[in-house]
Amino acid sequence: MKSIKEHLMFILPLMAMLIGIEFILVFNRITSSYENKLKNEYAILVVSKKTLKTPFVRSIDNRIDTVEPMNREEIAREVTAGMQDAAIAAIMKDLPYFYRIHLTKYFSLKDLKEIRDNLKKVNGILNVEIFGKNYHSKHSMFELVKMLLNIFIVMLFAVSILLVIKQMQVWQLAHKERMQIMEIFGAPMMLRSGILFKVALTDAFIATILNMGLFIYFKNKWAKTSDVDFIKNNPDLLFNISDFFLLFLLAIVIVIISVFYVAFKSREVPEG
Amino acid sequence: MANVISANSLTLAYDKGKTVVINDATFTIEQGEFVFITGPSGSGKSTLLKSMYGQIKPYKGKLSVGGFDMNRIKRNQLLQLRRNMGIVFQDYKLINEWTVEKNVVLPLIITGYSLDVQKVQAEKLLAHVKLSEHAHKYPLELSGGEQQRVGVARALSKNPFLILADEPTGNLDEFSSGVVWDLLENACDQLNATVVVVTHKIPTIFNIPYRHFIIENGGVHEVH
Repeated sequence: MKSIKEHLMFILPLMAMLIGIEFILVFNRITSSYENKLKNEYAILVVSKKTLKTPFVRSIDNRIDTVEPMNREEIAREVTAGMQDAAIAAIMKDLPYFYRIHLTKYFSLKDLKEIRDNLKKVNGILNVEIFGKNYHSKHSMFELVKMLLNIFIVMLFAVSILLVIKQMQVWQLAHKERMQIMEIFGAPMMLRSGILFKVALTDAFIATILNMGLFIYFKNKWAKTSDVDFIKNNPDLLFNISDFFLLFLLAIVIVIISVFYVAFKSREVPEG
Repeated sequence: MANVISANSLTLAYDKGKTVVINDATFTIEQGEFVFITGPSGSGKSTLLKSMYGQIKPYKGKLSVGGFDMNRIKRNQLLQLRRNMGIVFQDYKLINEWTVEKNVVLPLIITGYSLDVQKVQAEKLLAHVKLSEHAHKYPLELSGGEQQRVGVARALSKNPFLILADEPTGNLDEFSSGVVWDLLENACDQLNATVVVVTHKIPTIFNIPYRHFIIENGGVHEVH
């Protein structure tokens, strides 16, 4: 019972830290994927007298990714509904070219305005529409969510570090005597802390597995019933097998630092 | 014979020299000698012993143990020196989470001997200290006298060149004290180990020749 309690006292804060890290990974995947989705759905509308090609437009502003021409006939058909053929021909002749301009990433409103201004300087471009109001509210909401989650993760991490330090102090008390006896008989630090390493590495493995289990549950159960369509359609964002290795590696690093801390604090200090 | 311990104008002190415990002591102890160090409580007997295994550094003067200059000994050299010593404590200093058998072979574990060697040596030593039937017990299941015999067995497990014992019979009854003295006598007599024992009282029956140092007012004097 005592042993289980001792393990849990290290596993739980370690798990909290790993959950924090996994949150960062998942959150980064979700945000970059969502950002990509927002980016793909968004386009600047450009009206031009001349035809525009991607390399030329990119040379004006490197934040521009592609230029997609809109179908002039379709636009003309909508505009000229019910008109005579001669009138349609005349309109087609004077109808400018319409383009959707896609960007390389999900930029801020300030960037969009800069891009618009750069495009407006091009001879032949008649109008540039960035749909700023709608874009700005989406972008602001996105940034706010990002910031709140980052604060949450930092706080979770800080609390976890405090818990791990507390547990290290408990370990130190529990193992100090044994380590000091071993030191009196000439044991090097690695041997003195050997048992701690064994316990801590086991705990690190257990914490990683539990953490993985939690996120696999999110991926396979929670995501499917989630009200968030984006998550529902992309459950893989919630867990990758590569996360396991990363988390285990991180857990090992935390364990090594913890054990060396305890071993160092238990080191004999010559008297006198 | 070679000097195992050599002190030259040795001064030991605490609080950065504010409390001098041993003052200007000069003596040598040779290989295979049995030495008693006595003196009143608080005279500095244990401090002198601690200096021999590097727990306290000389404040002034020189101390050499097993060829190592204890003033300048590096940490890894100190661990190396300790691996070839046997140390017995009044409070036994056994690892309570380990079995008696494992405690006995601690010096072999530290040196990296195989499990087979450890097992053979543990059986031999536990038979020697008459504790074979307690091999798989834990220290707290034993009496004080039995725990101290485990402590002595541990000190002997690697055939050390030097055994340091701090009040080894201080907490023991007459029978257990007799067993511990026999073990230390044998270590000196048969293994040619140097044995330095700090004690309040030299046993009345002692079967091998010994030297006796007494500590008084910080000075270390040999009693002839």
